[in-house]
Amino acid sequence: MMQLTQTLPGKALFAFLLLLLGGCGTQVTRVDVEETHDLSGAWNDTDSRLVSREMIRDMLGRNWLSDYINKHQRQPAVIVGTIRNLSHEHINVETFINDIEREVINSGRVIFVASRNQRGEVRSERKDQDTHAREDTRKPMGQELGADFILKGSINTIIDVEGKTQLRYYQVDLNLISLTDNRIVWIGSKKIKKLVKNSKLRL
Amino acid sequence: MWHHPASFFTGWLLICGLLLQGCASYSHSFYPIEQKLSRQDPAGALLELEKQGYASGDQLLYLFNKAMLQRMQADFAGSNQTLEKAKRIIQRYAATSITEESAAFMVNDATRTYIGTPLEQVMLHVYAALNYLELGDHDAARVEILQVDVRLRQLMSDAPNSALSVDPFARYLAGMIFEDLGEYSDAMIAYRKAYQAYQLHNSKLYALAIPPALKRDLLRMARRVGLWDEYRKLRQRFAIAEEEITAAPAGEGEIVLILHNGLAPLKREHDVAVVDPGSGRLIRVSLPYYQDRSNRVRGARLIAGKASQTTETVEHIDAIDHKTLEAYMPAITARAIARAVVKYNMAREAGKQDQLAGVLVNIAGFVVERADTRSWLTLPAKIQMARLRLKAGRYNLSLELLDASGRPVRSVKLGEIDLPKGKRRYISYHYIPPYAQRY
Repeated sequence: MMQLTQTLPGKALFAFLLLLLGGCGTQVTRVDVEETHDLSGAWNDTDSRLVSREMIRDMLGRNWLSDYINKHQRQPAVIVGTIRNLSHEHINVETFINDIEREVINSGRVIFVASRNQRGEVRSERKDQDTHAREDTRKPMGQELGADFILKGSINTIIDVEGKTQLRYYQVDLNLISLTDNRIVWIGSKKIKKLVKNSKLRL
Repeated sequence: MWHHPASFFTGWLLICGLLLQGCASYSHSFYPIEQKLSRQDPAGALLELEKQGYASGDQLLYLFNKAMLQRMQADFAGSNQTLEKAKRIIQRYAATSITEESAAFMVNDATRTYIGTPLEQVMLHVYAALNYLELGDHDAARVEILQVDVRLRQLMSDAPNSALSVDPFARYLAGMIFEDLGEYSDAMIAYRKAYQAYQLHNSKLYALAIPPALKRDLLRMARRVGLWDEYRKLRQRFAIAEEEITAAPAGEGEIVLILHNGLAPLKREHDVAVVDPGSGRLIRVSLPYYQDRSNRVRGARLIAGKASQTTETVEHIDAIDHKTLEAYMPAITARAIARAVVKYNMAREAGKQDQLAGVLVNIAGFVVERADTRSWLTLPAKIQMARLRLKAGRYNLSLELLDASGRPVRSVKLGEIDLPKGKRRYISYHYIPPYAQRY
């Protein structure tokens, strides 16, 4: 067998084994949340953050908001409804909704009410207060602020494949619908395009 | 010790025997798992699988089998987590490895990282979609069928003339999911692609019957989206009466039973070993072949109260496996022969410098020559489907497993399910027959 290491392929194999050993061990580097790291080309935290920020800015800069404030002399109440994932990836829609909610609330320009999932817990807490809390701190039922608008939307993708190259095209659509009369007061759309090239060869 | 020719020979035989034991082919290791499965004990099979672990390069197979055993125990969420890991392995190792290819050229094909056959890669998404359907998450199932679409388009661009670049059941399931979500034009396209895929497999690969349920789906969808020309042509071709193509009446739902029948064929190896009369050196070429596994059960009847429906085969995994290997065989054979030449020359070169080294290299080359017998062994041989339309309500379901002449062999209780109005409920049943043969 010793003869094998003296042949050319044998030497190559040993050199390779040494290389492999060098690559061992886990390495951890902390990175800033705002930094962009594209690993696989899939939808990631940066996409979610940037899309929600840009779209909500666009939504709050449009006429419907000033029209509403002029007419009603108060800020409208907005709720986030369902955002469907119609893409090719298992996108965590919850984190995207959270990003949207944060942008809307922090803008301070509209009132934001709790979504369907959150309301259940709040109501049971109120029910609990009804029997257990002191009279002067008790929050009565039936005082909820009804939303004026609901924000709904979807995340779509179109994928074009050619050999090892993929063109990923994401489109996020959001609609703001008036709960009074089903009028759509705003439609926002944000597109992202990513070119993913997979290597044909590896070590 | 080596001075005596007889003891020298015995010594070598011993070492050979030890080495051979160490590299038993992949499919052999499946035997204890299969035994547990035959006793309808997927939990025990999973424990056995986890105990065995996996060799480097075989992680995908481990994940494939684990995911299948998890879904057999109705752990659909866990199964999908495992399948996501499997997807990452395929993505990471899809590129050709220079080092693995050279090792495959000198040692054997099984030294390469396993990334699955095209069918296995498609089935990965099909099973993930079925898991999501059983969890009631249609949007996530839709993600899987979109991924399957990308995969199939990639296959088509790699081998546009191969009938193996299309998959009928993946398309059929896609159609059903789109229909469930009310996306009728996408459903129409998917049903049409499924129909074309069945036709192509039938004409190019193996004989099959196009599922009658698909014909009705295709007609119903053509009518729904207003493709009247196509509707008339197809109705004539299928000879289906107008009354049979009714949309589900309000107040009815549909139970979709998917029977995962038997186990996919087993890959075995076939050896040709000769002694070169000139030099006395050993030459061995090992090639893989598929061995079908016998199964008395050919289908099943789904029973809910007085209503019943027999299954139709929607995916012939066993037949597709055979055809896939057939398509790869020229390349596998060419590699095996080239490898035999390389090994022969290596032994000759080593022998020039030292006779013992020559013998050693020759025997090592002989021993490590193995066929690649890796495949996803927990896949069923056939996927069969029965669809039963019923009034919304609670049903006690049972299944009669049928033999070739349609006689019930065994009865299985599936338990109670709620069928909501206007919805489809997907249920899976895995049947693994008792396998008598040892391998």
